Amino acid sequence: MDDFFFSLVLAGISVGSVYALIAIGLNLTFWTTRTLNFGQGSLMMLCAMLVVFLASQGLAMALAVIGGLLVVAALGVFVERFTIRPALVASGGSMGWVVSTLGFGIVLQGVAAKYFGSQAMAFPDVLFTTQDYVTVLGQHLSLQYLVVLALSVSLILLLELFVRKTVWGQAVFAISLDPELALVQGMPVRLIILGSFVASSLLAGVAGILSAQIGGTVDPAFGFDLVLFGFVAAVLGGMGCSVGALVGGLAVGLISKLVGGYISTAAEHAIAFALLMAMLALRPQGLLGRPEVSKA
Amino acid sequence: MSRLRSALSRTVAHPAFHLALVLALLLGCRWLSAGTVQILTFALIAIIFSQSINLLTGLAGQISLGHAGFFGIGAYCSGILAKTHGVDVALSVPLAALLAAAAGWLLSFPAGRVRDVYLAMMTLGFGMIFYEIVREWNDVTGGTMGFPGVPSAALHTLSILGVRIDAAAYFQVVLLVAALVLVLVRNLTQSRIGRAFFAIHVSEVAAGSIGIPAGATKQLAYTLSGALAGLAGGLYAHLVGYLGPESFALPRSIEVLVIAIVGGLGSIAGQVLSATVFTFLPERLQVFSEYQFIAYGVILTFSLVVLPRGIAGLLLDPPRFIKPRALRRAVALRPDPAVLRPEAAGGGDGGSLEVASVTMRFGGLVALDDVSLRVEPGRITALVGPNGSGKSTLVNVVSGLYRPSAGRITFEGRDITGLPDHRIAAARVVRTFQDPRLVPHFTVRENLLLGAHRLLRHTGAAAALALPSALEEEAQQLAAIEAVLALTNLTVVADRTISTLPYGTRRMAEVGRALLARPRAILLDEPAAGLSEAEMERLAQVIRDMKAMGLAILLIDHHMDFLADLVDDVVVLDSGRVIYRGGIAEMRRDPAVIAAYLGDEAATASEHAHA
Repeated sequence: MDDFFFSLVLAGISVGSVYALIAIGLNLTFWTTRTLNFGQGSLMMLCAMLVVFLASQGLAMALAVIGGLLVVAALGVFVERFTIRPALVASGGSMGWVVSTLGFGIVLQGVAAKYFGSQAMAFPDVLFTTQDYVTVLGQHLSLQYLVVLALSVSLILLLELFVRKTVWGQAVFAISLDPELALVQGMPVRLIILGSFVASSLLAGVAGILSAQIGGTVDPAFGFDLVLFGFVAAVLGGMGCSVGALVGGLAVGLISKLVGGYISTAAEHAIAFALLMAMLALRPQGLLGRPEVSKA
Repeated sequence: MSRLRSALSRTVAHPAFHLALVLALLLGCRWLSAGTVQILTFALIAIIFSQSINLLTGLAGQISLGHAGFFGIGAYCSGILAKTHGVDVALSVPLAALLAAAAGWLLSFPAGRVRDVYLAMMTLGFGMIFYEIVREWNDVTGGTMGFPGVPSAALHTLSILGVRIDAAAYFQVVLLVAALVLVLVRNLTQSRIGRAFFAIHVSEVAAGSIGIPAGATKQLAYTLSGALAGLAGGLYAHLVGYLGPESFALPRSIEVLVIAIVGGLGSIAGQVLSATVFTFLPERLQVFSEYQFIAYGVILTFSLVVLPRGIAGLLLDPPRFIKPRALRRAVALRPDPAVLRPEAAGGGDGGSLEVASVTMRFGGLVALDDVSLRVEPGRITALVGPNGSGKSTLVNVVSGLYRPSAGRITFEGRDITGLPDHRIAAARVVRTFQDPRLVPHFTVRENLLLGAHRLLRHTGAAAALALPSALEEEAQQLAAIEAVLALTNLTVVADRTISTLPYGTRRMAEVGRALLARPRAILLDEPAAGLSEAEMERLAQVIRDMKAMGLAILLIDHHMDFLADLVDDVVVLDSGRVIYRGGIAEMRRDPAVIAAYLGDEAATASEHAHA
C-alpha cells in the first residue's frame, strides 16, 4: 500500500468522524422537533473563531475552548427560542424554520466577518501539532488525526449510551415518536427540546474546533461546507439514525478525500452533492434508516 | 385602513396604472441619469428573478436555496453564446431561458421526490454544484478569473438584431420584457396552472384526490421557474458585460429569497416593490450596503414570524385566483344542475365499484384482511366499524394512496388497483377526507374550481395568454360551480376565504369540490363528523341528490341516526375484516356487530333478550 493512499484514508476517516459528529448534532434536533438548524455551520465557525480570539487574548487554551463552547451553547438556546419555536407555532410547514435558522446563520457569519475580518485566521494547536506523529507498521500516523478520530468516536458512543440507557435519553426517544403523547405523560418536553438544541450546538462547537484543528485555519465562511458534508453524512446513513451517521460520515470523509487526492480537490464538493442527490432520489430513508409510513 | 388598502389594491391591479407606469418609464428614462437608469435595469432584472422564485416557492411551495444556479446558467449561456459564438442577443437570451428551463425540469425529478429539509438541502446542493462547475470549467467559463467582454450596454458593445443598443435603450428592452413576464405570470396565477400550484403547496394528497398530479405539477413549476431565472440571468449578462462565479454564489440565492419573502410570497405586486427597494437600498444607502449581509440574515430570521405575508400582506388585499373576465363571462351563463349528472357509464358492468379480497399490511400489522365489497351506482353504501377497524385505510387503498398488498379494485369493469391517486380521480372515483383539505386562502369558489381542474383542458400557453377559449372553458366550469353552490347551500359564502369559515361550511365545500370533479363513484370519509344537526340534514340532502344523479356512494360514518334513513346497504368492518353485510335494521340485531361495538358480553346478553 503506498503512503499517499494510506494518508488519504487516514485523513478521510478522521474528517469523516467529524462529519459524523456534525450529523449527530443535526440528528439531535431532528429527533425532538423534526427540524435542523441551518445555522449549524455558523455555530461551528463561531466557536472555532472564539477559541482563536480568546487564546490570542492570552487566555489558557482550555479556558478558551470552554469559553467558545459556552457561547455556542447559549446561542443554541437562542436558536430554539427565537427561530425554531415561533416558526413551529406559526406553522406553515418547514419553510418558516428553514428560512429563520438560515437567516440566523447568516447573521452570525456576517457579524463574525465584521469583527474578525473575512481573512482566514490560523488556528492554534490545541492538541499536538501537525508535525507530531506515531509510527505504526511502518506508517506515519498524524497524532492530530488520531486524536480527532478518538474524540469524535467516543463522543458519539457516549451520546448513544446516553440515549439508550438513561431515562432522559428514553424521553428523547419518546418525544421523537409522539411529542404530544410525551407531554400528556408528564415529560418536560419543552426542556428536552431546549436541551437538544443546546447539545446540538455544543456538538457543532466541538466539531468546529476539531475541523479547524485539522484544517489549520478558520474563516467566517468555514462552517458552511462542513455542515453540508454533515448533512450528506446524515442522509447517507439515514436521518435520525446514530450508527447511520457514523457510517455515513466515514463514507463521505473517505470518498471526498480519495476523490480530492486522485481527481481534484474541487471535485470533493461536487461528489458529495451528487451523492446526496442520488441518495435522496433513490433511497430517501438512507442506507440504514427505515422508510416512514405516514398516515394519510 | 382596510379601505385605503383596497383602494391601493385596485389601483395597483388596474391595467391603466400598469400602462401609465410602463409608458412613463419608457419615455422618461431619457431624462434620468445614467446611474439611475442602470440601477433601474438591475431592479427590473431582480423583478423577473423574484417572479421566478415566487412561482416555485410562493405558489408551488417548493423552497429553493440554490436559485442563483438557474440565474447563472442563463447568464453564462447567453454570455458565452453571444461572445464566443457570435449569436445575436435576441436569440441567445431566449436560448438561455430554455437551457435554464431544462435544468429546472431535470432538477424536478430528484427534487420532486423529497420535501422540507431534504428539499432545502438538495437545492442548496444544486447551487453549490453549479458554482463549483463554473469555477473549475476554465475553458468555457473562464473559471475564477471570470468571463469578461460579454456584449453589453455598459461596454457599448451591445447590438440586438443589428441595432446598436445604449444603456437607456437596453433599459427600455428589459422594461418591456419585464412587463410581459409580469402579465404572463399574473395570468398563470389566475389560471388552472397557478391554482394547481397552490393545491400541491397545501396538500399533495388532496390535490391528487381531485385529479391534480403532484409530480407533473412540480415539474412544470420547476421548469417555468428555471426559465424565468434563466431569462433574468441572460438579461443580467448583457447589462454588466462581465461574469464571475462570485456573482452566482449563495448570497445571490439568499438575496432573491429575501426579496421574495419580504415582498410577500404569492404576491406579484409585492415582489415588484420589494425587488425595487432591495436594489436601490444598497446603492443609495451606504450603511445598508455595509451591513447588507447581516441585514438579510436578520430579515430572514424574523420576517416569516413578524410579517408572514410580507409587504403585500401589509399594503394590499390578498390576490384572487380566478380571472375577473372569466367570472364576468360566467354570469351570462345560466347555472344548470344537469351538468353535474354524470353521463351513463360506458362499461356493461353497470358502473359499480368493486373491491375484491383486498388485503393491506403495514409491516406486521394487517389493516385490511381480505375485504370485499361492492358499491352500486345510485345506491348509498355505508361503511361502519369501530375506530381502527380499517375504514379510512380502505378509502386510502381505493383512492390510490396505498397500493394494496393483495386483491383487486375495479370500477366500471376496469382494473384500477394501484393506479396513482390522480389517475383514479380521472377514472371518476373521487374521495373526501376526514379533515377538510382545502386551500385555506382560496375562496369557496376558487376551491370548487380546483375540483374542476381535470376538466379544464386548455394548454398552458392559452392560460398564460388568457386566450378567449381558455376563459370560455373556465366560465363553463364557473357556471357549474353556481349549481353546486346552490346545491350545497354555499352561495352566500362563495367569495369568502376558507380560513374565515366555520368547520361545517368547510366540510360542505369539500363535498362540493369533490362533486365538481364529476365523479361516478364518491367516497365520503366521515363527512358528518363535527356537523350541527342542521348541517347534517343539509348534507343528507346533498347525498340523496348525489344518489339521484346516479352516483355510486360509499359513506363512512359513526352516526347511526344519520345513516338510518339514508343508506341502502351497510358493510361493517372490525379489525380489518368484514363482519356484516346487509340492511341497516338487521345490522342492529347482528350479534357479531354488537360484539364489535359493545363487547362479547353485551352480544350474549342481547342474544338472550331476543331468545
